[in-house]
This record gives sequence, structure tokens and C-alpha cells, in this order.
Amino acid sequence: MSTYLAKRLVYMVIILFAASLLIFCLYALTPGDFISGNIKLTPERKAELREIYGLNKPVLERYAVWMKNAFHGDLGFSLSQQKPVLTLFNQYIWNSFLLAVVSTFFTWLIAVIIGVIAAYKQYSWFDTLVMVAIFAAMSLPSFFIGLFLIKILAVDWKWLPPGGMLTTGSNATGLAYVKEVVHHMTLPVIVMTLLGVGSLTRYFRSNMIDVIKQDYIRTARAKGMKERKVLFTHALRNALLPAITLVGFELPALFGGSLIIEQIFNWPGIGQLYMQSFSLRDYPLLMGFTMLIAVLTVIGTLISDILYRVADPRVRL
Amino acid sequence: MKKTVALFSTIVLASSLLLSACSKGNDSNSSSGPAASASGSASAGTDPAGQSGLTETIQASNLSKLPATAKNRNDTIIVGLTDPSGAFIPYFTQSGYDGNVNSLLFTTLVTVDDKGVPAPGLAESWEVSSDNLTYTYHLHKDLKFSDGSPLTADDVAFTWTILHDKAYDGDSQISTLNIKGGKAYKEGKAASIEGIKVIDPQTISATLEKPNATALVMLGAEVLSKAYYGKDYKFGQLDYIKKLGTAPVGNGPYKLEKFIPGQEVRFVANENFFKGAPKTPHFIYKTSQGDTWQFLETGEMDFASFSATQENIDKLKGLGFVNILPYTPSTYGYLQVNLEHEALKDKRVRQALTYGLDRQSIYVDANQGAGAVANIPSSPISWSYTEEGINPYKFDTEKAKQLLDEAGWKEGSGGIREKDGKKLSIHYLGSKSKNTDIFIAIAKENYKELGVEFQPEVFADFNALVSKVEGGDYDLVSFSTPLLTDPSDGLLQFVDGEIKGYDNPKFKELYDKGLATSDIEERKKIYQEIYQLLNDELPVIFTSYKKTVYAYNGRIQDLSVSPFNGIAPSLPNWSLK
Amino acid sequence: MSSMNAELSVNKQASPVPVKSSLWKLSVRRLLKNKLAISGLIVVVFMFALCFIGPLFSPYTDNKIHMAMMNKAPSLKHWLGTDALGRDVLTRLMQAGRISLTVGLASMLLSLFIGLLLGAIAGYYRGIVDQVIMRVADLLLTIPGLPLLFIFGALLSEWKVPTDYRMYMVMLMLSMINWPGLARMVRGQMLSLREREFMQAAVVLGLRDRRKLFNHLLPNLVPLLIVIATLNIGGAILSESVLSFFGLGVMPPTATWGNMIDAANNMIDFQERPWLWVPPGLSIFATVIAINLFGDGLRDVLDPKQKR
Repeated sequence: MSTYLAKRLVYMVIILFAASLLIFCLYALTPGDFISGNIKLTPERKAELREIYGLNKPVLERYAVWMKNAFHGDLGFSLSQQKPVLTLFNQYIWNSFLLAVVSTFFTWLIAVIIGVIAAYKQYSWFDTLVMVAIFAAMSLPSFFIGLFLIKILAVDWKWLPPGGMLTTGSNATGLAYVKEVVHHMTLPVIVMTLLGVGSLTRYFRSNMIDVIKQDYIRTARAKGMKERKVLFTHALRNALLPAITLVGFELPALFGGSLIIEQIFNWPGIGQLYMQSFSLRDYPLLMGFTMLIAVLTVIGTLISDILYRVADPRVRL
Repeated sequence: MKKTVALFSTIVLASSLLLSACSKGNDSNSSSGPAASASGSASAGTDPAGQSGLTETIQASNLSKLPATAKNRNDTIIVGLTDPSGAFIPYFTQSGYDGNVNSLLFTTLVTVDDKGVPAPGLAESWEVSSDNLTYTYHLHKDLKFSDGSPLTADDVAFTWTILHDKAYDGDSQISTLNIKGGKAYKEGKAASIEGIKVIDPQTISATLEKPNATALVMLGAEVLSKAYYGKDYKFGQLDYIKKLGTAPVGNGPYKLEKFIPGQEVRFVANENFFKGAPKTPHFIYKTSQGDTWQFLETGEMDFASFSATQENIDKLKGLGFVNILPYTPSTYGYLQVNLEHEALKDKRVRQALTYGLDRQSIYVDANQGAGAVANIPSSPISWSYTEEGINPYKFDTEKAKQLLDEAGWKEGSGGIREKDGKKLSIHYLGSKSKNTDIFIAIAKENYKELGVEFQPEVFADFNALVSKVEGGDYDLVSFSTPLLTDPSDGLLQFVDGEIKGYDNPKFKELYDKGLATSDIEERKKIYQEIYQLLNDELPVIFTSYKKTVYAYNGRIQDLSVSPFNGIAPSLPNWSLK
Repeated sequence: MSSMNAELSVNKQASPVPVKSSLWKLSVRRLLKNKLAISGLIVVVFMFALCFIGPLFSPYTDNKIHMAMMNKAPSLKHWLGTDALGRDVLTRLMQAGRISLTVGLASMLLSLFIGLLLGAIAGYYRGIVDQVIMRVADLLLTIPGLPLLFIFGALLSEWKVPTDYRMYMVMLMLSMINWPGLARMVRGQMLSLREREFMQAAVVLGLRDRRKLFNHLLPNLVPLLIVIATLNIGGAILSESVLSFFGLGVMPPTATWGNMIDAANNMIDFQERPWLWVPPGLSIFATVIAINLFGDGLRDVLDPKQKR
């Protein structure tokens, strides 16, 4: 296991290197740069500015500079925001994290409960209803359902705020602050949960169906064990085990923000920041963010591979 | 055109939900819909479909409908702003939205009135020497920065000087004015700029090498505190100044109270403002992307801007608690033409493409009157605007066909015109918006009728579009100018090399002539001549003027919007009743 | 979906094991009993018929502009009303469906093909091949999807792809994003299957690689593949709408469900003119649900584990 881990770690570093180079080149190849969007500048001024920012240097040279600084923990200075990239992350990422954590929690909770019940009552009307509901949730374009709920719940019925994270101008602190944030995050969390719950419920349901058909469940039942106990101790545990590997994959999503949801609900998260930076070609910020996600993805994959091994010892890693 | 102050959209207007800042104003503007791109329009106002049905402010009909949120807010006004980044130093900000914030934190030496004519700001008066080279500004007495320190001519000199630093990376064009000794300073050959003279604490002058009528307003911009922004200044080193962006010391009507990234910029009245503290003690710019309808409707915002379509106006009227103010921004929309392409070098082809394009349908009818057709590079609200001797290029397919025939483009196989074996094909670029979709749908039909192949391409982001234009891979591209202050702003693109391939000595001569004098009547005549010239030659195809409406909480009194400077000039007077 | 079936049956016939053909018949019979799956199939067939045959009966052409008729509510003349340019919404909806369905189907097939091929090879052969394939997949997986789509979108426009071919680019972009995940999943299954008793038996019997792969491993992957394939068509149709939302999709004036539903983005259209966004929204919604239900039904029927 430890040699395996060591190997994996070395490999992770190599992958990240390759990824950073690839991403850097891709961004560099993307048409337009930070300067080109500002049409108010004369061609001479543009050339001057490219010189100042080093945008006229060869890609590999720029990459080397970026990498060197990144090693020293310096992700650079955002061109458009005029602040260090790390400061910006700190300002925006936690807002995204909050949304993601809460909606992930609800997604899993709902998915497990409904998945188990639906599997247990396979082909019942409840199961059918759940299946249709799941597919319905999976078939909604995210921006569409977001706008729809804003119109109904926020504008027409005025139950929830239409967007943002705080009431504008609010000076709330302590509990009042928490209450306000909860109030504002309800709509986006509903939408994110709705969008995510379908595939996960489906996953749990089919896992559970597989498990229920296994011999040891039949044995447990034959021994006269109570149905509830069979279901929740024996079956559920075994159905959940493979799902643990999914935990690793959730990692980047927890910090990566959601481009669409944040935009629609005016949520001050990292996804929104990324979108703006992309259209402005703010390379330091783009690189920093993409690499952050890459690092999280790689770590998440490692975690899920290890958990996979734990869950199914027959798999040789 | 590049010299405007960085106030593109004063207010957020919903552009398409996801596209954000873009500078050339391709969609920085507002509209309720997903993006108002280069649309706009204005027929000379006589067309029935062309009237947007609104010429003066409509007062709120039923203030009792005002949502409780807005009713209970007594000392604060909230306006939406797309995306301020938190770096609030004039000249150094990279985003136009930060520019909007700056315009409240800082005030300028010289401002312009609603006609674009220079008016006093921090400078109570100024003189221009008879050779049009030296500009002398007289500051008000006892001016103070927001931290209480005095504002003098030294601060002005400092501001002008650092803009000439070789490390300066902002978009101020002051260094292109050619102040005497500016170049030497930039190259590190001089310790100060020869042409900038502090005469006494209230008087400062700058001497140029060459006359430039835009200098008065350009030099008369915001003033930075030397004591605050200059205490660590060394030539070639400006990084330190960026760290001060989060804690500005200004001289505008408001001070920065708090910046909450991605959410709000909070302001508090500046008691040291030279005209006295503003009437409303608090002001908030709320970060909001996309549609602002819901915020206005729920009372979370007091002010929002919309495209002046009839249905937007009707809906706003239906709200009952908002006043509606019509507004024509000082911009114009145009199709940049690739003059390096053989076919488009021919004036007759450009004219044919203009005659053959149903601009009335695209910019006025499909836009429900929220625009007018443009034929010159100037906005109808500018003092230089004229329709005298201007060809309106009324939609006329036959005329267009005739021009193409004359130019030697004859119908070939498949109904597409050809000349010397080459097809007449137009590659069009636009940025993603509803208006672009409308343009493409209509233009495709119009040009098919002419026998011209039309190949549209839409871009999700502005930089990609611009780089495609820079690479010359296009025939037509939709643009809209930023807010234009001086008439020469709208012409700059024809002289500074941005419109490649347009080289007309007559135009250049007129352009210089227009800048060489500060007499408005004299300049009017020169610009009329220029407009007639450009209207005939069509180095770009003029398309449209935008029309927008501002809707604001009926409780707000004394609100007005300057066509050139947005809400900043009138904001100190806003009060809640 | 019929092409899927054809593919599966070809696979089965190629196999020398005799029981399979009757098993196939049995499956069809079982499928017919699954009401949800069958209603899903009916909806899918209906949508295909509507989109591919419907326009032939329409008196309007999809991109014909009628300024006098703009923004009209549904009527006998225009069953689903007209849009901001007076174009008939129903006609555009059907034309748009052609594009959206084709994009969904084609990009699913493409990514499934790449993902299955590479995933199976990697999972079966392991060693160097596995390393190379999975590293490339890992590399692509480390880069977040939407940003990658933006970059691809921007790059592709540099390559001067004529706008008429943008549709194929969209398919290509979607498959580029999808295959690594698929390959990973397939590989994971392969790894797990390899350790099962029947495979160990196959090894002991000294069966050839090809036979092991095609007769024993791949059939066991079928249920997984069907679930993935169906989810993928639905996913691709949804992705197309997201791409349109970001302006990276098919160029206007060509309609797709994605760029039609974009009307919902405008508050006024959203509130006052539901006929602009409800039909494309409903079409996406109904088609994706139907495809998913059908796929799910197929899975129930084809899953070998359930026949124990």
C-alpha cells in the first residue's frame, strides 16, 4: 500500500505538471488576450502594455515564469482585478463552498432515502413515481429551472430573495447574519439539489437492487431477521460502500463553484469570477483557478481509488 | 473614440446573463433583454415604428405599490452595477465598472454639461493660450481630499506626471497628448515633465507640443492625492499604488465605506466634498449580472436601466412606483468594414451593402422602437449632430443591385454575384445577443436578395471577436462606441489606424482642423463637413443609436442622468422623499 | 435507439453461444411489458417523427421573416405563435429538433465509441496501454469541463470551420469532454469483472483474448453501457442547450432547441410570451425523460444479473 501510495503521489505530480502545461498552452492559444478587449487603446499603447505584462514573450517562457512563481506559492496578480490571485480565491471560494456543501448534503440525504425505498419497493407505484420524478429532475436545463423558480418564488410570490447572498445594505451580524444568508441560499440550494439528486438516487436505487438480490440478504431473511434490520443494516451498508468512491469525485465540485447557478442567482462565488476572467482573458486568475481544480481533481481521484480498494479488496491497484 | 472617460454603462444593464464586461460597449449597455449589442437606432424620428413613444419623464402613478423594502429605506439609495472588482483608483482601474465607482469617489477638474460643453468642476475656471498649446487651470480655494488633507496644484501635477511613467499600465491617454517633456520623462531622461508648471497652489498649467482640442477635458480629469498615492513613488515603480486600491482617498461626493466582493460597494457621504456633502448619506452599488427586473420589482434596487422598447415601458408603467426617464446615450453603432478586402475597397460595394440592408427593420422595428438608424459618427444628442447633406441610405434593394452591377459584380451560379471568378461573400462577426440574432436573420435575407453570400459567426466573448478582427479574418463586424464626449472621440478610429485601410488626406486635414480650435461654432461647421464626407465614403457602415429608459424609485427627487457622465454629476442632489 | 439495438444484436449473433438468440427474444417480450419504457419509446419515436417529417407539412419555412407578424400569440394560423421576427415557432421547433436530436445521438455514439474502446482496452490489457490511455483521460479529467468547452469553442473558430459545419463541431466538443469519464467507468467495470469467477475460469480454460473480451467481458458491460448511453443522449441534448446559452452552439439563424429556449433569458419574453420558451423547453424535457425511461427499461431487461 505504501509503495502504491508513493507511486501514485509521484504520478500525481507528473500529471499536474502535464496538466498545467496543457492548460497554459490552451489559454495562450485561445484567441484574444487581456489587452485586445480594451478597444479604447491605440495600437501603439497596446504594444506597450503587452510589453509591460510580458504578453509578447513566447508561451513557454511565460509558462516557465508562471511555474517558478507558483512553486514559491505566488499565483500572480490578477490583471483585471488588480489583486493577488490568492486573495481573490479567499474572497470568493468560501461562498461557493457554502452552496456546494449544503446542496451536496441534501442531495446525498435525499438520494439515499429515496433510492433505498424505491429499490425495496421495486416496480411499485412509488418506485415508478420516483423514477419519473428523477428523470424529470435530470431533464431540466439548469438555467431554465433557475430562472423559473426566481420568477415564481421570488418575484411573483415574494417568498425568497431573487439573488445575492445578503440583503443589500444589511449590517446584520451573528445569528441575524446567518439567518439572512440561509434565506438567500435557499433558492440556489434547491436548484442545485434538484439537478444533482436524480442521477445519485438512480445510482443508489440500482446498487440497492443488486444488493437485495444477493445471497446473504436472502440468508438474513431466511434466518427470520426483521425486514427493517435487513434493509438498513445489511443491505444499505453494502449498497453505500461502492458509493463512497464517489466522495472523491465530489471534491473539485465543492470548491469549483457553479458557473450557471452563481450567475443566475447573483451569488458571489468563484464560478462567476471565473466566467468574467475568461471573457477578459485574465491569465493569472484563469491559470490559478484551473490549476486549483486540477489539483483537487487529482487528489479526489486518489481518494476515490483508495476508497475503491477499501470497498472492494478484490481489486488490485 | 478611445478617449472617453471610462464610464461605459453607467448602470448595469442586463446584458446577456453571462457575458460580462466588454469595453467597446458591444454589450455593455443595458436593456432588459439579453444584451443590447450594437443596436440602437433612430430614424430621423418620422417613421411611425420609429418612435419609442417616450420623450419625457413619466412620474410614478401609484407610489403605494412600492415594495416594503424600498419603503423602509430612508437614508440609502441602491443602484445596480455589473461587476466592480474592488480596485478603486482612477487611471489604474482595469474595468469600466470600477470606473463607475471611481466617478463617485473622485471628481474631476473639468466636467461636461448635457451638451458635451466643458463646465467647471474642481477647477473654477481655465484659460487656453491663443496658440492653443497651453492650458491653465484655476482650482477652487480650500479644496480637500476625503481624509481632510488639502488638494492643491501639486496633486494635479503629480497625477499628470505618474501617467507618463513607463510602468503605467492603465488606459489613460494623457501621455498621447504630447505634453512638452512627457516623452523625455517616460524614457527616464528627465526628472520631471517640462511642460507641467505649478504656478501657485491654486493654479497649474500644461503646455503641449501640438494643439489638441480634447486636451482641456482630458487633462481636467480626476486628481490623485500626492501625499497618499505619491509617498512611495519612484520612477518606473507603480506596483505599490495598486495595493492602495482597496482604501481610496478621494475628493468626490462619496467615500468608500466597505467593499464586499461580488456583492456590494457601500458609500458614505464625503463631508469634505467641495460642493458640500450629498443629500443622501448612504449609497450602494449592488453587484448584479444580467436582468435587473427582479431587483427593481422587489424593491432591492432603486434605479435600473432598460432598453426603450414599448413593452419595457408599458411594463414599467404597470409597476406604478417607478419614474421613467428616457435617455439616449452618446454612442453610435456601426459595422466595421474590412477595407483590406478587395471587394470592400470599392465605395460602391459599401454603399450597396448599406442600401441593401434593412436597418429600419433591424434596429427600430424588431427592437420595438428602442433605437434609431444612424448615418453619421455622432450621437443625436451631441452639439455636432446634423442631418444636413446626409444621405439616409433608405432601404432600397434595387439601388443596391444597381451599384453592385456598376462595380462589376454580376450574378453568377447559384444566384451569387461574381467578379473575376470570385464570389461576393460577406463574413460577419457579432457577439452573442438577441440583437445579433435579429441582425443575422434579417441581413441574411436582405443580402441573399442582392446576390451576396452572408456567412455569420457569433462569439460568446468579446476578446475572441476582437482578436479575430485584429487578425483581419472578417468582412463586417458589429460594434458600438463607448460614451463619446467630444465629437472628435467618435472620429478617432478613422485616424489612429484602428480602421485599417482608410487613408483619406482630406479627412485627416479636416480632423486636425477640428481639433485646432476651441470655438464651438467653428468646430460645428468642420464636423458637418466631416460627417458628409464619411457618410458618402462609408469607411464603416453606420447602423444605429440606442434608446434606453431609466426606471427609478418614485421617492427619489432631483435625479438626472448626464449623457456623457452618467449619474455621477447629479447623484449628490438625489434625495428620498 | 433502434441503431443501438441493431448493434447489440449483431454482437450477439456474432457470438457462437447458441442460447443468446432466444434470450434476445425473451428480452423483447419483457421490454414490452414495461409500460414506462414503452411509453418512453413512443415519445422518442414521436419526437423523431415530428422533427424529421413534420416540417414537410408546414406551410412556413423556418427562417422566413415576417416583420408584420412579430410576437404573435398562438392561433390557428400559427399553432405555436411567432417569434420576434415573425417566424413560425412550430416550424422552427421541428427544424430545431432535427439538429438537437442529431447532435444528441451523434455525440453520444462518438463518445461511447471512444470511451468503450479505450476503457475496455485499458481495463483488459492493463500495463503500459492502460497507463497511457488512463493518463490521457486523467489529464483531460483534471481540467474542468465548461472552461475546456470555452477554450475549444474559441479555438475551433480560429480554424475557420464554415458556420454550416458548426453542428459537427458541437458534437465533437461534447464527445471530447465525455469520453474520459466513460473510459474510466468502463475500465473500472473491466477490472472488477476480471476478478470474477467466470473470468478466472476462462483464463484457466485458456481462451483467446478476443474471445474473452467479446464473449465474456463486453456482454457484461452492456447494462452499464445502456444506462450510460441513454443518460448521455439526454445529457448531450441538455449540453447543447447550455452551449447555446453561452453562445458556443450552433450559429443562428439555424434553430436548435437550445438557442430557442434561450428566450427564457429575457424577463419580458419569459413573462409575457411563454410560447417562445415553453415548446422548446417541453421538447427537451419530454425527449430527455423519454430517452431515459426507455434506457432504464432496457437496462432492467438486459441486465444479466437479474436473471439469476
